[in-house]
Parts: sequence; C-alpha cells; structure tokens
Amino acid sequence: MAEDDAIFDPSLKKKKKKKKTSFDIDAALAEGNTENDSAPANDADNKESAAAGEDQDDGNVDIDLDFTKAKKKKKKKPFTAEDLDSVDNKIEIPQEGSGDVDGGVDDSFDLELDFSLSKKKKKTKKPKNLDDLIAETEEKDEDQENVDENSTQWVNSDRDYTYDELLNRAFEIMRDKNPDMAAGKKQKFVMRPPQVVKIGAKKTSFANFTEICKMLHRQPKHLLDFLLAELGTSGSVDGNSQLIIKGRFQQKQIENVLRRYIKEYVTCHTCRSPDTILQKDTRLFFLQCETCGSRCSVASIKSGFQAVTSKRAAIRAKTA
Amino acid sequence: MSIQNLNTFDPFADASKGADDDVQDGLVHIRIQQRNGRKTLTTVQGLSKEYDLKKIVRACKKEFACNGTVIEHPEYGEVLQLQGDQRENICQWLTKAGLAKPDQLKVHGF
Ligand SMILES: [Zn+2]
Repeated sequence: MAEDDAIFDPSLKKKKKKKKTSFDIDAALAEGNTENDSAPANDADNKESAAAGEDQDDGNVDIDLDFTKAKKKKKKKPFTAEDLDSVDNKIEIPQEGSGDVDGGVDDSFDLELDFSLSKKKKKTKKPKNLDDLIAETEEKDEDQENVDENSTQWVNSDRDYTYDELLNRAFEIMRDKNPDMAAGKKQKFVMRPPQVVKIGAKKTSFANFTEICKMLHRQPKHLLDFLLAELGTSGSVDGNSQLIIKGRFQQKQIENVLRRYIKEYVTCHTCRSPDTILQKDTRLFFLQCETCGSRCSVASIKSGFQAVTSKRAAIRAKTA
Repeated sequence: MSIQNLNTFDPFADASKGADDDVQDGLVHIRIQQRNGRKTLTTVQGLSKEYDLKKIVRACKKEFACNGTVIEHPEYGEVLQLQGDQRENICQWLTKAGLAKPDQLKVHGF
C-alpha cells in the first residue's frame, strides 16, 4: 500500500512522464488489478469478485456499515483531494487550448492513465475486502447524486470502462467542482424561440426581435443586417419593436438563421461561452470573450449579390 | 534533421493557396431568395473567372431541370442564377465536378 501511494502522490508532471516512459507497466498494473477482459488468468479473479458480489448482496447493509464508517473517511479524503483535483487539472489544460477533440489520442491517454491510476488506488485496496470497496462506491453514488449513473456504471461492473464514460465522468467532476464554469452546461445557453407570425401573404413579423437582441447583447442593427442578408430580403423594425420581413418565413427558418448568427457572432469561437462582446475595430468586427479572453475577428456581414425579384416594370417606373 | 531552416515549409503557402493547382479561390456564396409566392431563386456568387459560367449554367439547367442564367454584376462579377431552391444540388454538383471544394462553399439562407 505504502509503495503504491508513493507512486500516486506525485503531481501531474510525474504522471505524464511515467506515461511516456513506462506506460505499459502502468497499464498492465492497472489492468491486472481491475477485473479485465482478455487475460485468462483473470478468470479466477472474476469468479472471486462475482462470488464476493453475491455475498455482498446479502449482507451488504450490516457488514459494510461496520467497515465503512471508519474506513470510508480515510479512503474518501485522498480520493477527492488528490484524484479529483488532478482530474480537474488534466481537463483544464486541453480545454484552454480548445483542442480537446482534435488532440484526441494524446488526451485520451492522459485521461485513461489518470483514471487507471485513480482506479488502481481503489482496486489495490480491493484484495483486502471487496465488499468494502463495492460498498464504498455505492455510497459514493448516493453521496454524489449529481454524477450521472451512466458514467459510473462501470465502477460496479466487470466490464471495462469506455473512453466516453471516462470523459463524461471527468467533465461531470469538473462541473461539480466549478459550477460557474462556462464549459459546462452553460454553453448551451437557453434561447427563447423567435416568435414568427405571418402578416398577410407577403410579410412576416419577428415579434420578439428586440428582446432577442437584448438577450444576445447585440445591437439590433447588427442582427437585422445579418438576418436580412441571410434571408436575401428586406425589412425593418416597426414601432412595436418587432421586425417586419418581406417574404414568408417560418419560425423554423428564422431559428436556423438565428442559430448561425449565435454561432458566428455570439458564442466565443474558442470556448463557446456566450459571454462575449462584439467590437468594431478599423472596419472589422472582433469577438472578445469575457470568459477566456480570446479575441478573434468575425466575418463582416455582406448581403452580396441580390437578384432582382420584384417586377422589373415597377423598378423601371420608380427609377425613371 | 530537425533544424527548422532546412525544412521545406513555405510560409506563404496559405497566401498562394489555390492559385497554382486549382482555379477556384475564395468562397462561393450560394444564396436563396424568395420570389412571389412559393417561388425561390438560387444565386451562386464568387465562382472563379476562369470558369465558363455559360457552360456551367447549361449543365446545371439540364441536371437540375430548372431554368437559369448568368448575370453580369459590376461588383460581384458573373453570378449564376437558378430557379428554385437548388442549393443542395449546386453544392453537390460543384463538388462532384471538381470546380470547388466543400469548404469553399458557403451556403446562406434559411
Ligand atoms: Zn472564450
């Protein structure tokens, strides 16, 4: 035990180093301790654990409570203090660079290693009393109800965890620890749907246009320009602060365009936080993120070529 | 081996991208406009000047079974105009014909 702890304690850097130099050994260690798939030698382990699991089903409540109350406190502290922290740090690094998806291979290894280590810690204690361990994880589930069941399913089962489960788990822990972080649920910030009403046969009203502008913290003119350019039409805001657009549009269509607007001009291109400011700087628009501080230029709105759709005779009459 | 200066990295690769090996540079904007009633119009702006738009429109008309024309615009150059919502069709066709890459196509509209 003491040896193992000595290996786990060192900080991230050391883990990373270890990964590169002796990943196989680590993995083998971790796998050897977890109930694993391929190795036939583990069959015995599996049976044992299965048997232990059955036993545990019966006497679960009485026996475990005896152990865990004393044990849990000891065990839980190192787990939350070190491992969760290290997980946090690990995730934050790719998140800052926003390359967490692209750099999949490397990160996944980091994550895997991280978890195998944290798991190993639990599992190394397993030989002592499996019941205890299972009870502990169960209790943890009860404690942290906000942790998705999905991500912790593998904790109790024989099967190996998948990458997605680990990733989910990491993000859940991250969210639990930093409820105000933008990378969590906040990035899907709630938008009120646009209220789109037909006006006669040829016009459409976007009733809560101004309200949506306020919600997005954008100048109505900017959104107006974008909408009209994308829809290839004309329109204006009337006295009731609703937008009247020429042409017939459904709510779904306006929503589509709005979504594109938000993607391009509202959410940060780096961290996707909606907490951004749009600044005009020497004819270019820049999106300044208040969360991560990134600043990037965004495309200017151009309506481009507009085909003549009205009656040519009417135009001629106007211009002549 | 790893000396930076010996690498054959062209820092201006981005600037001259597309100029040598393929003709289309810059974005092709594909837009839709409503006409009277349910009718719509698709415009394709930004195709390379090297292309013969007349030929393209002829092929498109046949392929999509729609009418179309080429409009000369003082600012935007030659613009392809097709009847109906041909945005999907034209994207696929341009890509298949090798006239533009998918990332060069910018589809606007609802
Ligand atoms: Zn950001």
